Amino acid sequence: MSKYEPIVYKDGKRYFYRFSAHQRLQHVVLFSSVLILALTGFPLRHAEEAWAKPLYNFMGGTEYAPMIHRAAGTVLLALFVYHTIYWMVKFYQNHIVKLKQQNQLTVRNFIREFFSQEMIPNKKDLVDIIHLWKYLFYFTNRPPRHERMSWREKFDYFAPYWGIPILGPAGVALWWRDELSHVVPGFVLNAAYIMHTDEALLAVLFLFFVHWYNVHYAPEKFPAAKVWLTGYLTEDEMIHEHYADYVKVMIAAGLEEEIKPQHFAGERYQW
Amino acid sequence: MQPRAFKYRYIGLIAALFISLAADVDIASANELNCLMCHKHRGLSRIDENGEFRLFYINAELFNSGPHRRNRCQDCHTDIDRIPHKPAEKVSCTQQCHISEPSDDKKFSHKNVEQTIANSVHSKFDKDGKLKPYPDDYPTCKDCHDQPLYRPVSVFKGIAKHGVSERSISRCKSCHDSGNFAEDFYEHVTTRLHKTRFSKEIVQVCAKCHEDPALRKRHKLDDVITSYKETFHGKMIELGSEKTPDCIDCHVVVGENNHLIEAKTSPSSAIHENNVANTCRSSDCHKNASEQLASFQTHVTYDREKYPMQFYMLIGFKALMAIVLYFFLTLIFFELMRRLFPRFSFFKDNKPHHKHNVSPSSTDDDTEGK
Repeated sequence: MSKYEPIVYKDGKRYFYRFSAHQRLQHVVLFSSVLILALTGFPLRHAEEAWAKPLYNFMGGTEYAPMIHRAAGTVLLALFVYHTIYWMVKFYQNHIVKLKQQNQLTVRNFIREFFSQEMIPNKKDLVDIIHLWKYLFYFTNRPPRHERMSWREKFDYFAPYWGIPILGPAGVALWWRDELSHVVPGFVLNAAYIMHTDEALLAVLFLFFVHWYNVHYAPEKFPAAKVWLTGYLTEDEMIHEHYADYVKVMIAAGLEEEIKPQHFAGERYQW
Repeated sequence: MQPRAFKYRYIGLIAALFISLAADVDIASANELNCLMCHKHRGLSRIDENGEFRLFYINAELFNSGPHRRNRCQDCHTDIDRIPHKPAEKVSCTQQCHISEPSDDKKFSHKNVEQTIANSVHSKFDKDGKLKPYPDDYPTCKDCHDQPLYRPVSVFKGIAKHGVSERSISRCKSCHDSGNFAEDFYEHVTTRLHKTRFSKEIVQVCAKCHEDPALRKRHKLDDVITSYKETFHGKMIELGSEKTPDCIDCHVVVGENNHLIEAKTSPSSAIHENNVANTCRSSDCHKNASEQLASFQTHVTYDREKYPMQFYMLIGFKALMAIVLYFFLTLIFFELMRRLFPRFSFFKDNKPHHKHNVSPSSTDDDTEGK
């Protein structure tokens, strides 16, 4: 995999590396399949609403929309498996190999390394959540300083990790209901039905309200954040969202003197 | 058949000659007394003795699209023999009509349907012939049926379509060329090759009674319409599919008369616990399924006593959803509020951001004036 510069300059501005092309592509596959799943699933979930039938017909109607839904679901499940293998390989390359070379591969070290991965929630996240509420209620003028992955991003990341294991098997069960009935009794499908439809509603509401607020609706992001395309954050975004990481990256790049003070969305940037 | 067919044409000719052009020539057969002279008017109506608004308009085009088009008006409205007439009596669907059934040349009647209904759960009488409680709640013909329409089907090169196929009918007509015999029989038969009514309509028919809360309470019935609409079957029907089952598909044993809907407790019923599995697996629906599929619960009401699993799962998911969404939406709300006064704070934390930098307040002071 090609190496990405932690800081790049374009038109005199600094940009900070976030996601590799490989990761961005996974995100594109993820959101495309989820959007297709939502568009072919929700008209069925709300079949009696006025918008359901026109949308369902647009998505292929009762004949083709179920096929599209199943195809998109298969892609999403495949991505889920692929991504799990992807981070395991990454974990091996970035953590285990190092331990092996130092001949320190013990269970204890393995667990420690596992929890040191950037997407794993840790104590700092809890502190940051409490800090954020203090900030929101005007008890401090200093917003939390996030590391490379803020607790919100970790929540966003683990949302599919809890959603897909619920939605996916339930969807597969409803798809292969006849074959499955040789293995489990029919009322399992009742359970699968609730799991599939209700978890889907939670997923979609979370994505369209919370995740889209983070990357679309928030005033400084509107109409859309660009990091999912470019893989790089602007300096302002970096300071808002990942100040601790910002300082770390700047120091590592030997730019200590140019580190800007922390500010928060809503302040008028004067630099 | 033949003399009447001749007569129809004869009357049609007279109708064409003597009645104004507004009277539809096609309906002449049903219109022996020239009923349409008055009943063609869309506004023909009155308030009857019970104070109810009654519309007497007959849409000739619709009437001619249904199986009753070969009947004359007075075949069913037997009490009418002159114009103008007195208020007509209610038509009994079980009376013999003047049409003869072609297979045995007997006078046609819907009487045997009455017998089937008597054996079904919808009969007014119980097994011992005693009147059930609230007998008026039980349906009669016209509670479920209105003037039916043909839904002919044509198949050409393996593709089925709605409508009459000229190619197919020309084959019938090479022998049966008198009158509208071929057309009538084509529509008669092909309508019955699939569902006479759209599945969505069937659900509406059952809903007429089964959705009525007062009636459900009287007969201790679950809200089966709502629970059906919650299923994939109901939702696909709602979206226009004709491939998923409606009420009748599961509640009538395959091959039985559609009027024979039986109670869950009846051993011959399609939904009796011993028969459900076969009902699900019939007609290519779930043909690969095992008998275990029968334990799927179709009419789930999310009642805590009857459906505890569904009840608690639903509560669980709704709670999860509420927690996650309320937490984040509240957060977003306060975050937007925080932006209104970005520099205000009860307590100031003026420690430097890191050892290389100035404190936030001094920066604030610097930029305040700009």
